[in-house]
Amino acid sequence: MNSTGFDACPECDLLINLAQPKIGEKVHCPRCGLLLSQPRKQNIERTFALSIAGFILFFPANLLPMVGISLLGNANTGILMSGVISLFDQNMWPVAVVVFLASILFPLVHISLSLLISGHLYFNRPNRYLVLWMRWMQHLDEWVMLEVYMLSIIVACVKLMAIAPLKFGWGLYAFIALIVITTLLTSTLDKQLFWRRIEQLRKDNRHAS
Amino acid sequence: MPAKMNALQQGFIRCHDCGYLVKKINQQSFCPRCDSQLHERRPHSLQRSTALLLSSFFLYIPANIFPIMTVNQFGTGDAHTIAGGIVELIDSGMIPIGLLVFVASILVPTSKLIGISLLLLSVHFRWQINARRWTMMYRVIAFVGRWSMLDIFMISILVDLVNFSGVQIIAGPAAIAFAAVVILTMFAAENFDPRLLWDK
Repeated sequence: MNSTGFDACPECDLLINLAQPKIGEKVHCPRCGLLLSQPRKQNIERTFALSIAGFILFFPANLLPMVGISLLGNANTGILMSGVISLFDQNMWPVAVVVFLASILFPLVHISLSLLISGHLYFNRPNRYLVLWMRWMQHLDEWVMLEVYMLSIIVACVKLMAIAPLKFGWGLYAFIALIVITTLLTSTLDKQLFWRRIEQLRKDNRHAS
Repeated sequence: MPAKMNALQQGFIRCHDCGYLVKKINQQSFCPRCDSQLHERRPHSLQRSTALLLSSFFLYIPANIFPIMTVNQFGTGDAHTIAGGIVELIDSGMIPIGLLVFVASILVPTSKLIGISLLLLSVHFRWQINARRWTMMYRVIAFVGRWSMLDIFMISILVDLVNFSGVQIIAGPAAIAFAAVVILTMFAAENFDPRLLWDK
């Protein structure tokens, strides 16, 4: 959208002239059916709140034991990072790197960026890096794979339960909460609103200086 | 405004990063809102997508014939391929989980490889009658791609937990190939520009 009121569909490039939708309305592209925008109320406040919660939950989810197993009188517990290290020890470093990025580093960077951006917008603080952060966050969207990891935990546990007793730790509960938060965060974040607010902040800043 | 016109035909470029619509004036190449470079369409979309797709086709072969993991039990090793692991799950009565793994590690990657090939062909040969259906297919492919990482994460969990003096699970070479297939097809889908399906 720009000052002329025109917009283009990102997937079929149809030129559209639509009024700004109201909160709760959904706008689909009339030609290809893509959901173009769905404004939500208090989006910046909500994103900020969810980012804080997610950022806090990230640490117990990564540091507390998730799943424990006992076999032949020995016991093992696993967290996200110990899986990466085990793969690394088996000379599987390409896989270890992929798992590390998709399940630890990218989620952390993504939630931090979302915290930074929504925090700046919430307090109306201009920052010249806002555009850069926003761009990075959009690029990372697809590579944060926590919900896929959750499904892997379920499948792995079903497999293992057949051979040995399992114990679930606080890390797992924190991880589940983190997934709920990140899913809510990415599915409700109104990128168009964020970009408009960033533009507004930049303009105000230019006038003030 | 004439009905159903492409923005590009009317001289508009949509910023890929922030969605700002810019009136094309000569060689203006940066977005006034977010300063990122403007492109009419994703640069070299078809070439990049085809290259990534071909690489994943080749890697798909080792991913399926080599073992993805080996279970070592008191000296004897039992190697599983992707398909072997699913058969074993179904044999031992875990049918829903077996089906889930089948969808994530066989059905999704295979249909993704075929789907992206079809998309590239449909742009190349301009099969524009079904542009809407092709776009829907693109959307499904872009959405389901990441779920194939299921097997890779599962190996990371199993390798970590089943690590005792008598019983161990070792990741196999297919894990590297399979992870590469998933990532390369994700990049292939990301580089494909669905607007090419609609360009006259």
